[in-house]
Amino acid sequence: MISKIINMADKLKDTEDQLLESLFANEALADDGFSKLVVRRIRRQIWIRRLALPVAMLVGGTIAIKPLTQLAGIGSQLTETAVKLAPASSLEIPAALTAQLPLAMTLVGCLAIGMFVFRLSEE
Amino acid sequence: MCAEDSLLVAKAVSANDTAAFGELIRRHQSQIRNFLRKLSGDESLADDLAQDCFLHAWNKLRGYSGRGSFIGWLLKIAYTTFLQSKRRSKRYGEILEEVGHVAEITSTRYTQSNEEVSDLERLLAILSEEERAVVVMSYACGLSHREISEATGMPTGTVKSIIHRSKEKIRTRFDIKDHQYG
Repeated sequence: MISKIINMADKLKDTEDQLLESLFANEALADDGFSKLVVRRIRRQIWIRRLALPVAMLVGGTIAIKPLTQLAGIGSQLTETAVKLAPASSLEIPAALTAQLPLAMTLVGCLAIGMFVFRLSEE
Repeated sequence: MCAEDSLLVAKAVSANDTAAFGELIRRHQSQIRNFLRKLSGDESLADDLAQDCFLHAWNKLRGYSGRGSFIGWLLKIAYTTFLQSKRRSKRYGEILEEVGHVAEITSTRYTQSNEEVSDLERLLAILSEEERAVVVMSYACGLSHREISEATGMPTGTVKSIIHRSKEKIRTRFDIKDHQYG
């Protein structure tokens, strides 16, 4: 008797579930260019990310170039003053470094561009 | 996980292959869009959310472990996307209010008529957002309780009780007993 009740309960549950399943049954939606649209958005996102770093560097570099040149000028003036005041032997290394500052900046720029080109070729 | 899905995921991840991911979108867009349409009650909003969902999926694809079905993983992202958009916008509340208002007027009894879409809307309108998500995942997407648990982040017991409670609500509201036998 108990098993009959349990079976009946299961059967009722199944019928109810089936009814809900039939009500919720999805009609397959046609793609209609949906996937192409999403892929296009993804590709655009990839390009934006790819360009973001170099563009940011370019903008940052443009903004920073004037203060940097001024800083380099002040640095060289300071060096000259220091050379006059202090013994020449104690200032040999910093003076050499200051002279190489533009070269170092060029190298950093080349390295950044190189990394970007390498990333592009990798992709 | 379907073998073809796993192959496409591997291709998309290893080679940043957007074409492979496009194929994954083609395979699953219907289920994701249907899920979001039922959840939001707005076709155009659902399609926008589906696009965002696939974009998020692309960004998170490397974090996909391969455990469980791919559609379950996508539904989890779709549900999160839906919740995020709901938080951002009050539009959802307005839609729900509209649907709820319609349900108040017309839905006194559940009948299986030709107008199944509106019946479904009325049925969904009486469920809370959480119940709706779980019921749609279960009956429309065919996910197991465990998969729903993974997708929503709820314990399996909670998922079962939500389904039970939702069915009780539907039964009470729409007098579903009358239609149990055919």
